Amino acid sequence: MGQGQVSAVDQGAQQFQANCSGCHGADGKGGDKGPAIATLPSIVARSDIELIKIVRDGTPAGMPSFEQLGDAKITAVVRYLRTLQGKTAVSNTDEMTGDAVAGRVLYFNKGQCSSCHMVNTAGVGQGGFIASDLTGYGAYHTAKAIRQAIVQPDTPLDPASRVVEVQTKTGQKLIGVVRSEDNFNLALQTEDGRYHFLMRSSLAEVNYKQYSLMPRDYGTRLTSKELDDLVSFLIVTSKNAPMEALPPRRTRHGNRTATSNK
Amino acid sequence: MMRLAKIGFGLAAASCLLLAVDRERAPRRVVEAAAQPGAKASAPAAIGGIGLINVQQSDLEQTDIEDNWVSYNGDYTGRRYSNMTQITPANVGNLVAKWVFHTREVGPLEVTPVVIAGVMFITSANDAYALDAKTGMELWHHARAITQGLIDDASSHHNRGIAILGTRVYMETDNAHLLCLDARSGNLIWDVLYATGNKNYGATSAPLIVKNKVLVGTSGGDDGVRGFLAAFDAQTGREVWRFWTIPGPGEKGNESWPGDMYLHGGGTTWMPGTFDPELNTLYWGTGNPTPDYDGSVRPGDDLYTSSLLALDPDTGKLKWYFQYSPHNLYDYDALQTPVLVNANFKGQPRKLVVTASRNGFLYILDRTNGKYLYSKKFVMAENWATGIDDNGRPISNNLTPDEKGVFVCPSESGGTNWYSPSYSETTHMFYFRSMEACSIFTSKTEPFQEGLEYYSTGTRTPTGQITKGYINAFDLKKLDFAWRNPQIGATFAWAGVMSTATGLVAFGDDAHNFVILNGRTGMPLWHFNVGQTPRASPMSYAVSGKQYFALAAGDDVFAFALP
Repeated sequence: MGQGQVSAVDQGAQQFQANCSGCHGADGKGGDKGPAIATLPSIVARSDIELIKIVRDGTPAGMPSFEQLGDAKITAVVRYLRTLQGKTAVSNTDEMTGDAVAGRVLYFNKGQCSSCHMVNTAGVGQGGFIASDLTGYGAYHTAKAIRQAIVQPDTPLDPASRVVEVQTKTGQKLIGVVRSEDNFNLALQTEDGRYHFLMRSSLAEVNYKQYSLMPRDYGTRLTSKELDDLVSFLIVTSKNAPMEALPPRRTRHGNRTATSNK
Repeated sequence: MMRLAKIGFGLAAASCLLLAVDRERAPRRVVEAAAQPGAKASAPAAIGGIGLINVQQSDLEQTDIEDNWVSYNGDYTGRRYSNMTQITPANVGNLVAKWVFHTREVGPLEVTPVVIAGVMFITSANDAYALDAKTGMELWHHARAITQGLIDDASSHHNRGIAILGTRVYMETDNAHLLCLDARSGNLIWDVLYATGNKNYGATSAPLIVKNKVLVGTSGGDDGVRGFLAAFDAQTGREVWRFWTIPGPGEKGNESWPGDMYLHGGGTTWMPGTFDPELNTLYWGTGNPTPDYDGSVRPGDDLYTSSLLALDPDTGKLKWYFQYSPHNLYDYDALQTPVLVNANFKGQPRKLVVTASRNGFLYILDRTNGKYLYSKKFVMAENWATGIDDNGRPISNNLTPDEKGVFVCPSESGGTNWYSPSYSETTHMFYFRSMEACSIFTSKTEPFQEGLEYYSTGTRTPTGQITKGYINAFDLKKLDFAWRNPQIGATFAWAGVMSTATGLVAFGDDAHNFVILNGRTGMPLWHFNVGQTPRASPMSYAVSGKQYFALAAGDDVFAFALP
């Protein structure tokens, strides 16, 4: 992802002026219709991938989808927004104190990260499907933040990763992650990979937990050195990740948010 | 049948669509005992209950299409014949739209959805989606930007769908990459670029999986690429074999390709083929030769363009070939589905391959050896050949495109095209869409240039011509047409047909309608206006005992079922 960043920022500036400045202002500090995306902490704190998704899909609050720009231009817009925020892709290699090769071994063995998370190394995606793809994760988080996310997961909780427990009116219990839902239906994926397509009218209870499936004991299961190794592995992996290996969009609310076009 | 269907639905509702009814299936009708093409005796279906994606080779070899539609054509035979019987001529009038999925990507879609265990997989350009097949709600979306700088067909970013094996989904991209995705998350497992050395390559097809190999071809057949079919290991993505459709120096057939012309001869493989597990033979069509309209630079028959290839799936070795249109000058690809039919032919049980070819003739061959058995002209407007000889070779009228232009029928769009045909085991009829049109072909010798199309001039429509579409029913027992329905509408729809065990035939028509008619008589029974031109072939599946039809039209996928 390190290639072509200069031209991407130029392209991003053009696209930002053409598509975003009307509402968010030329400097991203807000306008009549749109919030200050260059300065609002809740926006600045989001990952690039989250921002890419917002630009692509729009928001329920009324921002339209800019999907028609295509992924390359959307990515360029987000990179440009980062420069307005005074923030670029995290330069976190300096903070790497661990051994990425040892971290890779941990990821796929003792750490058991790969039982839930896929990661694309050397052109091959390996690992599970129930949790997010971590291929690009290390590019947007400091070493400290990655370590924090491992030892203290769910702070904050990503709503898309919430564990959901449902009980049907016939008494069956299912625990998994919601892949789509609306007022009528709920698609739950359980850890065996199976999708359960449930009608809400058939459910006695739907319980959205305040945690994800991520284990909460890595702080004791892994040594400090091992955590550093894992962090280093994720950072190194993200540096080598092809753009195409970034994770797919996963919508939680069924069909994407309806938006008006400009 | 109606009563059973209602019970099935009631059960589903009562038990909250959970495990108890997962194996509930649409009531089926026993089809005639004649063994279906390539059917292996009692191969167990491995696909489990609803929502669990795990497809085995034995699932791909099933020839009874019921709940699952496992590949572009539904099964290896290419018949697009569903065994489900819940929707009948008597109740089809009650069919209602159940959901619409809007892709918001590059349209119009040319995809045929694949449905496994209640999960529908579709593609749109380089994007893949998994949907709840009962509601149309999106489970995941693998987004990948379209490729800039492509030419001709690839620059339209058409994509016809996915292939699936185990827990993995495979698709081609517009720039000829083969992607392997995790079917449970949409995450990318690997990405292999499989066509290099000429930037005019692209891809539009759905892959076909045979015995742990993913088979892919390319587009670019009007743009001076060298066609091939390549097989990749489904686990590792490593190439296993590659069959070049244009023979290289020293190979049989190379005499048509002087100098380096073999590198630009076309013969691309831009549609999925079919497969007979018993004969262990792949059947794959090839595209027209290039340059399309200038035959002077490619003397002779131009092997193996506009042909049907019979290949060994393990090695990629050619077993036999049949060339429909030798030395073609009119863009008559032979990518129309080679449909595998086991039927009595002139009183003898035969293993047949039936194809309505773009050149305007319907062919029946013996698929064990490629022997020509029969042909029938199916277009009314045809002048390029005076007939087909006893060996299946067309008797050419020698209409050669020149600078002034020559009037030829069918047009460069063909008497039919990639939109799918269907063979019904119930009616013993072969259904397909045809096009009545002619063109004026002009030609001038031009050099190949990478980055440019390689038609060597073009075609124009005769003044005042109105292109006419037909849906045809060819009776394989009588060897004659049972009926031919002229289509009324503003836009010829590049939309194929499918059939079901209750004798229904479904297709998108020329006036934005999804139509279901009585396959025996051609009488329309039901239609629904999808509001945009369909450019894809329909399919049928079932979830929790309910049968659906699905069709892509415009940027959307529509699903229909009984109330």
